[in-house]
Amino acid sequence: MSDEDAPAGEPADDERKQDRYYFDRHTPEYRHRFEEVTREMQETCPIAWSDSYGGHWVAAGNREVFELARSAEYLSNDNDLRGERRGYKGITIPTPERVGGVRGGFLEMDPPEQRYYRQALNPYLSPAAVVRWIPLVDEMVRACLDERIETGRIDFVDDLVNIVPAVLTLAMLGFPLKHWDIYCEPAHAVIYTPPGSPDAPRLAELHKAMGMDLASQFFEIKQHPRPGLVNALINLRIDGEPQPDIELLGTIGLLIGGGFDTTTALTAHALEWLSEHPDERERLSRERDTLLDAATEEFLRYYCPAPGDARTFTADCAIAGTRFKEGERVWLSWAMANRDPAVFADPNSIDLARKGNRHNSFGLGIHRCIGSNIARMVFKRMLTQVLDRMPDFRCDPAGAVHYDTIGVINGMRQLPAEFTPGPRRGAGLAETLEALQRTCDDQGLAEPVTAHRAAGKVGG
Amino acid sequence: MKVRVDPQRCQGHTLCAMNAPTMFELDEVDGHSSAVSEDVPAGQEEQVAEAAHSCPEQAISLF
Repeated sequence: MSDEDAPAGEPADDERKQDRYYFDRHTPEYRHRFEEVTREMQETCPIAWSDSYGGHWVAAGNREVFELARSAEYLSNDNDLRGERRGYKGITIPTPERVGGVRGGFLEMDPPEQRYYRQALNPYLSPAAVVRWIPLVDEMVRACLDERIETGRIDFVDDLVNIVPAVLTLAMLGFPLKHWDIYCEPAHAVIYTPPGSPDAPRLAELHKAMGMDLASQFFEIKQHPRPGLVNALINLRIDGEPQPDIELLGTIGLLIGGGFDTTTALTAHALEWLSEHPDERERLSRERDTLLDAATEEFLRYYCPAPGDARTFTADCAIAGTRFKEGERVWLSWAMANRDPAVFADPNSIDLARKGNRHNSFGLGIHRCIGSNIARMVFKRMLTQVLDRMPDFRCDPAGAVHYDTIGVINGMRQLPAEFTPGPRRGAGLAETLEALQRTCDDQGLAEPVTAHRAAGKVGG
Repeated sequence: MKVRVDPQRCQGHTLCAMNAPTMFELDEVDGHSSAVSEDVPAGQEEQVAEAAHSCPEQAISLF
């Protein structure tokens, strides 16, 4: 511990930080050179010090990310916005300007507080809880596809993969389904719109409308409880105390952020890849009973919708061969760890039947994505219904729009496609959502699985 | 072959149950896994080995 008191720039720090790599994941260049940067870092400095954004560590190697992510005793997710604890800055590098005094729910908390939040929400999000929603998700997908099926044209982002995750997230929160479009555009656009964009003022207005609806739903549920994740948060007690509204609102924001843009990003990319590989698409459709699970994990590994998280060291420590100091920050790159040839053979290729696919796309350790079971289910239900109803879809590469940067989400804004038209099977989206709202309300589907085990029954 | 899930390491990724559905049970409330039995029945070894290999937290031990 003798070098603990050494001022910055002393040999001790130089020695600790001798593996250096200038890492800026927010530049378009990082997106274009992702495979090259990953290879360089994994070969020369799987943990590196970067001078970007005030200086922070970057973990790019699979073993290094694994060991760091699971060292919860030395890592903090805390975002101490008001300087009440140790002044740590949460999971984002750099600290986003838009935070506005709200931390990112339990993803920016440490145990034991974080654990209480997760325990309150787990019974809504476990595999047993999520499976109850399948009939409703199928009906949402059916309605989205019916809106386009007769035309032979669809934008997979606008017309399907933006909508279904949004509607389902609201249903699980206990919010009105038909409000999905108040949330949808701002929730996605906040990720892909750079500060200073000409579109920023319009988006700020949309964001305000979303925030107002969110707050009004929250206070309404507080006064007149109705089942869902929000009700669970309102009923959460830690040491007998209800949690501050600001923390609950931050958590709802986290659930919306986590529920919307990630599954959208994954599904859009998978559809784009399948359009480019029609033989693989045909094989996946034909062999789905045995191949769909593995293919889902492989799309998760390869496209890694949420490419990483930051942590702060809570004590001086040595992990994976590097010495860190209390207060230093590290970026854990799930996306780069997923491309490490030490764990994944031919890591930059998609192998739908890949074995031993222990990817990091839902994170590792105590902060594992709490929505992972929903993400997989919604992805599979959207994908298989597209394979069944639009089996010959061809995405238009000229119309596909990827996010300019992949610093926050590896997402897509547009994915137009053509296909052989087919017949409708039922009502359009608006009418379907009205019916599904009644289904949710009448059957208590937003209750936790501990209170309500039966799967939803649609129609009839 | 025997199998065990370390409850301290398991975080509920569910890959084990995906690979060997008859051998791993997921908790209804938090999705964390446990082995249905410590002894792996004949014919299940390959699936269980794949489950262990696929676990993101490396929480499954075979012995």
